[in-house]
Amino acid sequence: MYYLYNQVTEMTPMERMMAALRGEKPDRVPVHIYPRFAPLEYLGLKFHQAWEVPDLYVKAQILGQERFQYDCVIDYDMMGPVEEALGTVLKYPENDVPMVKEPAIRTKEDMKKIQWKIDPRKDGNMPKVLYVIRRLKEELLKRGGGKSHVPIMTWGSCPSRTVGCLLGFQKWFTTVVRDPEWAQELMELALEPWLEMVKAEVEAGADLVWVNDPVSSADCISRDTYEKLTQPMERKFIEAIRRETGVPVVFHPCGNWHDRLDLVAQNQADCYFLGPMDIRLCVEKITEQNRAGKARAKAINGNIGATTPSANDKKVPVPYATTLDKGTPEAIEAECKEVIQVVEGSGLRSIIGPNCWTPQGVPFLNIDAVVYSARKHGRL
Amino acid sequence: MALADEMLEKIKLSIVNMEDQKAVELTKLALADHAAEDILNQALIPAMEIVGNEYEEGRKFIPEMLLAAEAMTGALELLKPLLARSGAKKAGKVVMGTVEGDVHDIGQRMVCIMLEGAGFEVLSLGADVSASEFVQAVKTANPDILGLSALLTTTAPRMKSVIEALQKEGLRDKVKIMVGGAILNQRLADEYGADGYAPDAASATRLARTLMESRA
Repeated sequence: MYYLYNQVTEMTPMERMMAALRGEKPDRVPVHIYPRFAPLEYLGLKFHQAWEVPDLYVKAQILGQERFQYDCVIDYDMMGPVEEALGTVLKYPENDVPMVKEPAIRTKEDMKKIQWKIDPRKDGNMPKVLYVIRRLKEELLKRGGGKSHVPIMTWGSCPSRTVGCLLGFQKWFTTVVRDPEWAQELMELALEPWLEMVKAEVEAGADLVWVNDPVSSADCISRDTYEKLTQPMERKFIEAIRRETGVPVVFHPCGNWHDRLDLVAQNQADCYFLGPMDIRLCVEKITEQNRAGKARAKAINGNIGATTPSANDKKVPVPYATTLDKGTPEAIEAECKEVIQVVEGSGLRSIIGPNCWTPQGVPFLNIDAVVYSARKHGRL
Repeated sequence: MALADEMLEKIKLSIVNMEDQKAVELTKLALADHAAEDILNQALIPAMEIVGNEYEEGRKFIPEMLLAAEAMTGALELLKPLLARSGAKKAGKVVMGTVEGDVHDIGQRMVCIMLEGAGFEVLSLGADVSASEFVQAVKTANPDILGLSALLTTTAPRMKSVIEALQKEGLRDKVKIMVGGAILNQRLADEYGADGYAPDAASATRLARTLMESRA
């Protein structure tokens, strides 16, 4: 039932996603689930296989989209190729994105030795990421008869996260309090290489960019530190991406940001891909900033419970956690319906999806339930 | 006595205020007329309790926790040999680590520091620790509690593998198991067969004390 429900559509995925990101009315609510693992699982692949053979990743993204019928594919995403090119040693697990093994910078002297000017077309694994985007574009265009294609989302690392990868996250956290001037200097240096990479990604064929910040939530740093140190750099990065590429920018506040949603909204993203937070509070705070002329948000992506437990600030209940992974299709449908109603009712556009990446092992029926719900409850 | 109490209060405040050098200097001075155990119990442990509570209440964050922990560790290093010599009773023994495939280290390190600050003997295995390494550590170190940390959806299920490996070796009932990490919750902890779940470093200390009571 879920898989077959109403496949009649009036817009292509590209038209639907872009309409929502411009704040215009699509034929129905688009679906974007950050599909890393489901397409690989559909083909019986582990992530390392798709990293070793990029065409396998392309194949999985294309066949996965055709199978599940969501509205956006993703490139390699969150591989840290810039941090790696700058000197951080990454560890590549068998079935996940890499993690920091050895940070590039331990001292201020190390910082001076880094070659901050990178060439995304030549250095390290960046060309591999660009190759996947180009191949996705070619193949998706072929399937769209040369006229249209499913949009390709790429990723950019905001300066705070990048510096975390360069310093190691423990040192990053102590530096923001003990030596904020150095943290600032590092973020300024780290912005440019990632901006170069995002420009190359868009040139290779990406249609939209998401930027995430996993180190500035209320679980990590104070609102004051966010306001003074990391939010201005987040905003600078997002504004630079828009200025240099012209593509929409989606920002993912990863974790619990309930006490700083006003500041998040001011970072000038077009869309917020919400973490495990209260949808009503997020919508209220973001529209408040829009009305005040301090934000330009057009859409909300999310936030069906996916990977993380309820944000535990003991103040605002978060009802959606872990549903996509562990819930029933019926529970997912109920959450989708509620999210769509709340977001669309606020004047923002809803792009339905999880509240973090769709994790490994999500039952295919649960993903089908999201698409089904958008078709059933998201006709606008 | 009033002066002595004042000194312990100063040490406590220096830790809460993340003044690492001051904490060490004051501890050196305090050792002239205080037992190491008193400094631990009346300054270091209360200081970390304050820091933990402030973290839970959203008044301190990861950077402040780490810096306070650095200050506490500096002071504790001075006390350790003296505590060992005096035969001071430990609150318990804990082996900690982040499970295999997960290199996230901050969480487990914060828990280790809080536990040390609370008087536990702690052996940290670090990050990316295999099930067999955990089993080996339980065999050789004979801890009261095994702490498992994970940050990722992909690695959290390995906690279950560790617990199963302990069962296979007949060690499960010899150790209490607590789990934590951003991705965890009580439901998952129950599903994996852990004895307790703690969402952060401060509550991990409370959980460890509770688990110790249940062993008694």
